Amino acid sequence: MKFNVIEDENAAAVGNALIKVMSLFFIGIMIIAFTANPISVGTNEGQRAPDVEGKFYNGSGWTEFDFSGYFNTSWQEGDVSGQWVVIEFMDTDCPYCQQSAEEFGQFANTFSVNNPEWNGAHVNFLASATELDIQGHDSDRAEIEKFRSDYNHNFPYIDDIDQDNMKEWGIPGTPNYFLIQPDGIIAWSSSEHKDEKVSDAIVRLVPRESA
Amino acid sequence: MSSNALVGVYLLPTLIGFLIVSPWGSSFTSSLVDRFPSLKTARGQLLSGLQLISLAGFAVSTQTLWISSKISEGGSFCSSTSTFSCDDLLGNSELNVDPVLGLSWGLIGMAAFALLLFIVLVLKQEHNHPLSERFVSMGLLTTGIGILIIGLLVSYEFQEEKICLYCTTAHIANIAAFVGFFRLRRLHENRDEWNK
Repeated sequence: MKFNVIEDENAAAVGNALIKVMSLFFIGIMIIAFTANPISVGTNEGQRAPDVEGKFYNGSGWTEFDFSGYFNTSWQEGDVSGQWVVIEFMDTDCPYCQQSAEEFGQFANTFSVNNPEWNGAHVNFLASATELDIQGHDSDRAEIEKFRSDYNHNFPYIDDIDQDNMKEWGIPGTPNYFLIQPDGIIAWSSSEHKDEKVSDAIVRLVPRESA
Repeated sequence: MSSNALVGVYLLPTLIGFLIVSPWGSSFTSSLVDRFPSLKTARGQLLSGLQLISLAGFAVSTQTLWISSKISEGGSFCSSTSTFSCDDLLGNSELNVDPVLGLSWGLIGMAAFALLLFIVLVLKQEHNHPLSERFVSMGLLTTGIGILIIGLLVSYEFQEEKICLYCTTAHIANIAAFVGFFRLRRLHENRDEWNK
């Protein structure tokens, strides 16, 4: 039996170079894989919360909001001194948001270090107020201020009338709640736990002194 | 060692490579010819410079991908209140990926410099490879596209008012490689010089 072997002298140059470069590439990737554990940014539980931008109202005026200032990336699980964050994406004209507003205000007072009956980590409450694309849902900053005042809320309201934050977070409708750990990782989201209230999630997930 | 000083480890070979592929490269390499015979010819000189640049570019791109990964874990690497703060750019989840496929710029840099290194290694081993002309053009095209991307990334730096020294080193490596491949192409057109 005869074999016709086709020899390509130039193939060796390409093959050798390819092996060297691919080895180098995979060594680089493996070094990264073994020494880093990247966490993606997103709105699912376990992901790093995206940024929230815009002006916020705290009762005295509208100033630039600094979302990253709420987080400490070196926080360790179980550390009670770390402050958690609950953010609500809402629309002042949304009936469900209006219905839950009073209760949401009570939660903010309950899960605070100022409440002697709460022995857990402090939970900061935030509201990102948007304007849904629904007829009759026109909103403005005055309406946001009035809404906050009507329900005696004492936490910051972020102006998201342009829907930038809502789009960034992929919010399908309002109200939508997220509980975020002190290191900025999403611990709970209402869209993943439709049968659980945000208050129950706080009780279940936020560490307490006696726990 | 400060994170910004560590850049020197990548910048130094990049600048040496840039010098070797520059028109003044022969005066720089003349004293090294005895030790590195491949530097005797213009082709050998350009390919050696390009090899150094590609390796340094690949290494610094790997480092930027590593920094992005560490920042996403919650750590910091080169955070600073000064203008030279790469964490603000490499840790920005919107700016540290390409706007089309969402791939990390570090990973794209690794792939691009790996391709350049592959081209250089093939040409070093077999300078008259049937695809040599195509390889040189591919190197020139890759680095040319890289220059357009550098424009976009520099606009991000202006927008954030921060400079990422690791990214800048990778940009210098790309520009140096562009110069090297441009001169290599000119050399390839002159068959006598190319075959020396």
